Amino acid sequence: MKNVQILLRQHVGAPCQAIVKSGDKVKKGTLIATPTGLGANIFSSVYGEVEDVLEDRIVIKPDEVQSEEFEKIEEGSKLEMIKAAGIVGMGGAGFPTGVKIGTDLQGGYILINAAECEPGLRHNIQQIEEECDKVVRGVKYTMEISNAAKAIFAIKKKNEKAVKILKETLKDEEAISIHLLPDIYPMGEERAVVRECLGIELKPEELPSVAKSIVINVETLARITEAIEERKPCFSKNLTVIGKLNGGNTPHVFKDVPVGTSVEELIERAGGIDGEYGEIIMGGPFTGKATTLEAPITKTTGGIIVTIEFPDLHGATMGVLVCACGGDEARMRDLAEKMNTKVVSIARCKQAQEMKSGALKCERPGNCPGQVKNSMQFKKDKCEYIIIGNCSDCSNTVMGSAPKMNLKVLHQTDHVMRTIGHPLYRYLTVSKQVEQDI
Amino acid sequence: MSITAETAKEHAKDPAVLCCRAEEGIIIGPENLEDPAIFDDLVDSGLLNLDGVLTIEEILGAKLTKTCDSLTPITRDVIDAIQTVAEEMNEAPAEVAAKVAPVAAKANGGVLKIHIGEGKDIQIELPMNVGTGTAKAVEIPAGAEVKEQEPKLIRSLTRKHFKITEVKRGPETKIEGTTLYIREGIEEEAVASQELVNSLKIDVITPAEYHTYSETIMDVQPIATKDGDDEIGSGATRVLDGVVMMVTGTDANGVQIGEFGSSEGYLDENIMWGRPGAPEEGEIFIKTEVVIKEGTNMERPGPLAAHTATDMITQEIRTALKKLDESLVVETEEFNQYRRPGKKKVVIVKEIMGQGAMHDNLILPVEPVGVLGAKPNVDLGNVPVMVSPLEVLDGCIHALTCIGPASKEMSRHYWREPLVLEALHDEEIDLCGVIFVGSPQINAEKFYVSKRVGMMVEALDVDGAFITTEGFGNNHIDFASHHEQIGMRGVPVVGLSFCAVQGALVVGNKYMTNMIDNNKSEAGIENEVLACNTLCHEDAIRALAMLKTAMAGEEVKKPEKKWNPNVKATNVELISNVTGKPIELVKNEQSLPMSEKRRKKYN
Repeated sequence: MKNVQILLRQHVGAPCQAIVKSGDKVKKGTLIATPTGLGANIFSSVYGEVEDVLEDRIVIKPDEVQSEEFEKIEEGSKLEMIKAAGIVGMGGAGFPTGVKIGTDLQGGYILINAAECEPGLRHNIQQIEEECDKVVRGVKYTMEISNAAKAIFAIKKKNEKAVKILKETLKDEEAISIHLLPDIYPMGEERAVVRECLGIELKPEELPSVAKSIVINVETLARITEAIEERKPCFSKNLTVIGKLNGGNTPHVFKDVPVGTSVEELIERAGGIDGEYGEIIMGGPFTGKATTLEAPITKTTGGIIVTIEFPDLHGATMGVLVCACGGDEARMRDLAEKMNTKVVSIARCKQAQEMKSGALKCERPGNCPGQVKNSMQFKKDKCEYIIIGNCSDCSNTVMGSAPKMNLKVLHQTDHVMRTIGHPLYRYLTVSKQVEQDI
Repeated sequence: MSITAETAKEHAKDPAVLCCRAEEGIIIGPENLEDPAIFDDLVDSGLLNLDGVLTIEEILGAKLTKTCDSLTPITRDVIDAIQTVAEEMNEAPAEVAAKVAPVAAKANGGVLKIHIGEGKDIQIELPMNVGTGTAKAVEIPAGAEVKEQEPKLIRSLTRKHFKITEVKRGPETKIEGTTLYIREGIEEEAVASQELVNSLKIDVITPAEYHTYSETIMDVQPIATKDGDDEIGSGATRVLDGVVMMVTGTDANGVQIGEFGSSEGYLDENIMWGRPGAPEEGEIFIKTEVVIKEGTNMERPGPLAAHTATDMITQEIRTALKKLDESLVVETEEFNQYRRPGKKKVVIVKEIMGQGAMHDNLILPVEPVGVLGAKPNVDLGNVPVMVSPLEVLDGCIHALTCIGPASKEMSRHYWREPLVLEALHDEEIDLCGVIFVGSPQINAEKFYVSKRVGMMVEALDVDGAFITTEGFGNNHIDFASHHEQIGMRGVPVVGLSFCAVQGALVVGNKYMTNMIDNNKSEAGIENEVLACNTLCHEDAIRALAMLKTAMAGEEVKKPEKKWNPNVKATNVELISNVTGKPIELVKNEQSLPMSEKRRKKYN
């Protein structure tokens, strides 16, 4: 086993402070870094010796033999144990869970985000299929802690097997129901989940608490169960590795991967890269970013994707449409460069609102505000190609005008979709509404 | 892009087009609609075909019966039912003038406002009985005055006209009958009086000599003087008819004063006769050709020296004019400044150039369009200065202006300022004054003075304001800011500027909705023909009609996408229909012999 590198920042908030030094012996579950402000405890994910403490990470050399045993967290109230376990939002946001569920919902809702909206990822759905009880117990603990009267699983209808298992598990749970989602992107956006389940449209700056609700990811709930029932600290992660791999483009789901494991090691476990490749993405096709083989995974890593090679567009002019649902401007420019194009125009979707943090949030995720004005800008700026990262609905709208203006439309996820054999994001052919009967 | 409920209301009569894919069964709301502002471009590029499309008010709230993709025009066959439109209150907004007619005065005892919603803007104002506490609905014909209050005469100005038919040189400056003599050798004294003036030449241009080459025309000035101790803006003023002063010049290197956009060339090819600021055909010009020190043509002191030297000559004529016997008066004009209580109170804001160099104006000289006693607005910091309409008409502005000759206001322009004249004589409004505000060079200063304009207008408590400007480009930044400062205080504004094609506004804001274009040129450009695109009578009456419309709470139709001179023609015709007075539009440069310079410009 190679060294694990545990980043000191794996969550929303300030980086943690290391409390170990090189030469220290650590076990699985040894507390190695603590928060300096908003944050969550960080634990060693392996047995071994601290090799180095760097500014942004702790490097641990694992022992040859690894036991399944781990150091348990101290016993305490349920919320205390969740906080002590260092659990953060594992859907990708990384908000400290102990803080999130510490609010009193006054009889409100726990909304379980099982949308697994990023195409190609599978570990959330697979967890429902395999460990539904554990997840549901997590739901009940969370309801109890945050004083919620009801819980709703938000899951895409296309996941028939998972839905069936879930339905079976919940047959005697009157307070927990299922809301089926259409197979469009983005359904897993926090405010989209609130809207779909409760019919309340939150403003970009509003939190689900405005709608007396908490949105929480499937895996996070399972970690809550582990913290409470097994006193287990959060040091491992479930994720999907997919792409141009030896053995084909089917998803490889790895459960309980030690945090700090390198991308390379996981790709090897999945079969290794099949020949030449375009890039490696950490995260999903929409919101992930290019990464390297050496990079370590964190508590929020959901996917590792190896893509096919990029097309060479020989310096063609490119327009970039930045929106809140896909990559940020830097990511879009990164892709434009990888395709050898020259960015000559940047537009922003009308609904992408800049938050105080500088991040973009969509006013109405999944409901397009119209895009023809952007297309007109790209045309005026003499773009040959445009690259978009938009959701299903907005991409469809772009297709309504751009091709007629002789703009060649590329989607940020094209190389991933081609790699994994998923339809490209262009025209929308399915309804945004689904029947709730199963 | 999807629109807001507010935009949907504004565009109630515009075509309804889906901005995005919309699914069968949805109730169509503003968020489903594309912004009509971009339809022209879409239609032009063939992306949109609006045949059979319904209007926004007809479909808002209707149910979509078929899933449609983005940019689908909403037609009868894709909705369940056309939404009933409450009442046909719509009038073609182009008929601004039709609604101008008498402006209802504010009822003295307050106003009962009833606003009927339903997406329409029906506004009824009824006077209420004061004191009783109960509102009695009194039936009053639209626009009828509640109580006629007496206009109050503030001051009067008399202009005594003396006729000049011949200008000669002689041993002394004097006027004999209708002949004006200018002292020989006065040129040397004029040159000596100004350090920066190298030479000065006087040419007397009679109509027979109009086809004479001239350096750029820096100013056209009336020759006028105050009677006795009278001050500018009141009492009596003597003025010579049939003759004007004309300042022209270059620097010692032969560079025109105002090299970008100058009117040098044959006089008859470069003067737009009869513009308020220009000579009339038939007038004699006393033209000075001043050569100033090399390199000073683009600095403030240079052009000022040229003007001051010329004014020395004018001053000698003024002295002679003062001595003339009253029996020689051929015509007397009287201007009365009334305040009209109970009428809509209106102010005119005139933006004048204050960027420095030749962009300066001398404010309030002792003599009409003189130099002595005046303060340059640049030295005043370009802050707003309040003057009476009669001060404007009595030559309180000595204009130092020449870049962009077609759109700049010569000194004579103020003497005959059409908007001031029209507003002064309009008994339906209460013209409270004229604010001159300079246009500084630096943006920070522009906003500094503009905020003062806003405060001043706020303190005046007016019901409406005009903003005029001269030139185009740089000055439009102030022009826009003045609109914002006044508009944000809830005062309707009408702006007058040369825009058309070349002078299209470079900046804008949401208060710039009521615009009058001063353009007269055929192609909508700065054609370098003196005063061609300045504010004329036909612009003043349109502006007045527009402001009355705006003050009555009516909307002024949005401009067309591209400059279209027909808008003006239609509006003028409509105004004429209402007032019953035919309006003859002024001619443009096409009526002049074609100059070589213009031939190049137009081809």
